[in-house]
Amino acid sequence: MAKVDLTIEICGMSGDGTIAAGGILNEAMSRAGLSVLAFDSYPAEIRGFGRCVTHSRFGDQEMQALSEKTHVLISLDDKESQSRTPFLAKNAVVLFDNKPPSYVEEGTSIAAHVEPDVRLFGMPFTDLAAAASGSTRGRNLAALGGFAVIFGVPPAHFREVIAKKFKAKGEKVLDANLKSFDAGYRYASEAFKERERPVLLLPEPGKDEERILISGNEAVARAALDAGLKLYFGYPITPATPIMEYLAKALPAKGGRMVQMEDEIASIGAVLGSFFAGKRAMTATSGPGFALMTELITHGVMSETPAVIINAQRGGPATGMPSKTEQSDLQAAVFGGPGDSARIVIAPTNVRECYEFTLMSFQLAERYQTPVIVLTDFFLNNRVEKVKIVGASEAQREDWNLYPDESSRGQYERYRVTESGISPRAIPGTEGFLFDATGLEHTEKGRPDYSSEIHSKMTEKRHRKIRGALNDLPEPVEFSSGEAMDVGVIAWGSTFGSALEAVLRTQQEGMKVGALKMMSLFPYHAEAIRAFMKKCKEILIPELNYEGQLANLVGHLHGKDVVRLNRTTGMPMSPTLIYERIKTLI
Amino acid sequence: MKTSGKVLAEQVKKIGESKVFSIRSPSLPTWCPGCGYFGIHQGLNNAIQRLGLPHHKIVVVSGIGCAGRYPFFTDTYGLHTVHGRTLPVSTGVKLANPELTVFAVGGDGDGLGIGGGHLPHIARRNIDVKYLLFDNSIYGLTKGQPSPSSPVGFKTKASPQGNKDAPLNATLLALSYGASFVARLFAGDPEGITRALVQGIGHKGFSFFHVYTSCVTFDKEYKTWDHLKQWVHPLPAKHDPANLKQAIDEALEDQFSLGILYKRME
Repeated sequence: MAKVDLTIEICGMSGDGTIAAGGILNEAMSRAGLSVLAFDSYPAEIRGFGRCVTHSRFGDQEMQALSEKTHVLISLDDKESQSRTPFLAKNAVVLFDNKPPSYVEEGTSIAAHVEPDVRLFGMPFTDLAAAASGSTRGRNLAALGGFAVIFGVPPAHFREVIAKKFKAKGEKVLDANLKSFDAGYRYASEAFKERERPVLLLPEPGKDEERILISGNEAVARAALDAGLKLYFGYPITPATPIMEYLAKALPAKGGRMVQMEDEIASIGAVLGSFFAGKRAMTATSGPGFALMTELITHGVMSETPAVIINAQRGGPATGMPSKTEQSDLQAAVFGGPGDSARIVIAPTNVRECYEFTLMSFQLAERYQTPVIVLTDFFLNNRVEKVKIVGASEAQREDWNLYPDESSRGQYERYRVTESGISPRAIPGTEGFLFDATGLEHTEKGRPDYSSEIHSKMTEKRHRKIRGALNDLPEPVEFSSGEAMDVGVIAWGSTFGSALEAVLRTQQEGMKVGALKMMSLFPYHAEAIRAFMKKCKEILIPELNYEGQLANLVGHLHGKDVVRLNRTTGMPMSPTLIYERIKTLI
Repeated sequence: MKTSGKVLAEQVKKIGESKVFSIRSPSLPTWCPGCGYFGIHQGLNNAIQRLGLPHHKIVVVSGIGCAGRYPFFTDTYGLHTVHGRTLPVSTGVKLANPELTVFAVGGDGDGLGIGGGHLPHIARRNIDVKYLLFDNSIYGLTKGQPSPSSPVGFKTKASPQGNKDAPLNATLLALSYGASFVARLFAGDPEGITRALVQGIGHKGFSFFHVYTSCVTFDKEYKTWDHLKQWVHPLPAKHDPANLKQAIDEALEDQFSLGILYKRME
């Protein structure tokens, strides 16, 4: 069992520096040797008015999901923070401003709105920051100073992170922020008696220096760079935009370029054009943009042209909820578009897999000459995890294109029907292998042909090719408690973490329950899934969509109806919800 | 060894005459007899021969429509995309391998209708793609509906009372979008097309070729060969292609003057 499992929330209004404080807290706790899983559930698409909450879970082991109970609430705005008190754990710590700015309404102090078991630590954030730096802006850092004292986290970790974060803003800003933090630290050291402070057992420092704090979006962008990406084409959309911004900065140094296109149709068009001409390219989008890309994705299927598309799902349909998480694009990713258009769809379940799957998507696209869709979700893209990223090996960077050999020079057939369904693909600029790629049905030579015979033969060829990709796709991973189980939980995307946490809890309580992590959504490993289902009396599939899109996809493999657990709250799936549902099935 | 310009020109001419560089493919075009596209094909073919461009370094990208089939009739690399997306796909091809000569081809429906949103952006990015807009003011492949460049009053099966919407002036659009090379041409004058293409292919940047052509099957009324021949004429002798303002004035005042309207000097 974990010795440290601490969930901390910082809550304030936009402008309070809530998100900034959360970022500093995550980095400092990471430096203190803890694992981190953090998610900013900021309220709107842009920074405007509204409540900001950062949610960070720290532990001495890797974590799969967010916690539902908060152990520490740092309140930068007591009125807003009242909304967080129902989520406080027993004996939680609440750190608040006991002398808030004069404009704050009287009687809103959080001290009056919490259960009696809560341990209250009040200190004058605002006054401390003002006295130390001449400005009240550093009150978020004064609060962090207080937090460091209460939990015995070495202040050096915080000071280092603050120095790193504000270095670029000039010495004056940096100095003001450090002074605010120090003021909070000094005040708390004197004001809060040591015996009243909770004990936090920090792991020995230095044992996991290889792990870094990184978001899902950053992991995707870094993987693309490590895969040798040369061209990125994109259009701004929440929550995928940070990928584009990261690459805009990083690509020129690698001899590449980010081109902000006029829309998502143009983005996928340019990605296909680039792969057609032999260069790795990528685009990232979310549901509305993905919908626009659908026709050209099926062109990639028909013309057998590679492409890499990241679809960072958000709440839908239409514009839906740009800043909320959901898993409702599975069917669009797997089946979207005209015709029988089989393509590869993979879905990471954590930040490390965001990196790994993006990296592998380029090789998959090349080998199978197809669009590859990496299906992430808002929660995955925006959450921060402490992960070890080793970079791409020589083998992972390798070119997986299959080029035609000399013997076909002059009589090259671009779409030759082979056993694997993969036809060698020439790259324009190569002498002796001219061909036309087309979205029309075509002969092996690439000439348009609408005969029954050709369409049947070529449709079969394309599907055979995609089925063959199963050999290179991540197989389902089983977390079983035995050969005969009462309940098996199958999950994908960010929901898998919640499912695993719930399943591990039931296993610790002696229940016969297992979990299956599904990462390849199309094609999928039907045999492995069926084998898992056979061990389980009931199959439960929790998903963040209304009908159960994964259940629709693989439910038929079970001998009877699968049990669906669906939520469309815009929030990550709750482990407790899954845990409770499992119990009702036993 | 230095080759004089004259010797080089003779060598290029000889290679051209040898037909080694003919880009015509063994597949015969599916266009109707009398279609203006044959003239455009001849113009482009001759330009490539004259410049001695190796076929394997050429990519022809097209959309959907009668012009969409163009890649199949050329002996080069071809990419027949979906409706209206010729220009972004061409952008990807060109940026991925700048050594390729990339031709984008498409009709007025493909380029001014469904794909009309892409022209401004390839122009302002000045991507080195050679775009030939085959403008016959009608949707031919779907058997005759009005297009974004059809005149008001134009009668088709889809506009039995006459087309109500004002036509777009493609040359004027390209100029105002910032295209760095703009020529207006006529399918009945393949030599004029060749001359403009030779210039445009040499131009480093987005080059727009607005080619008037006739749909002999579905348009008996407007852009017929007879009409087009009466209407078109060369640009005024005093026209200065380095002068954008003059080019815009010309495009506004005279829809049928042919030649290189604008070439941005870098």
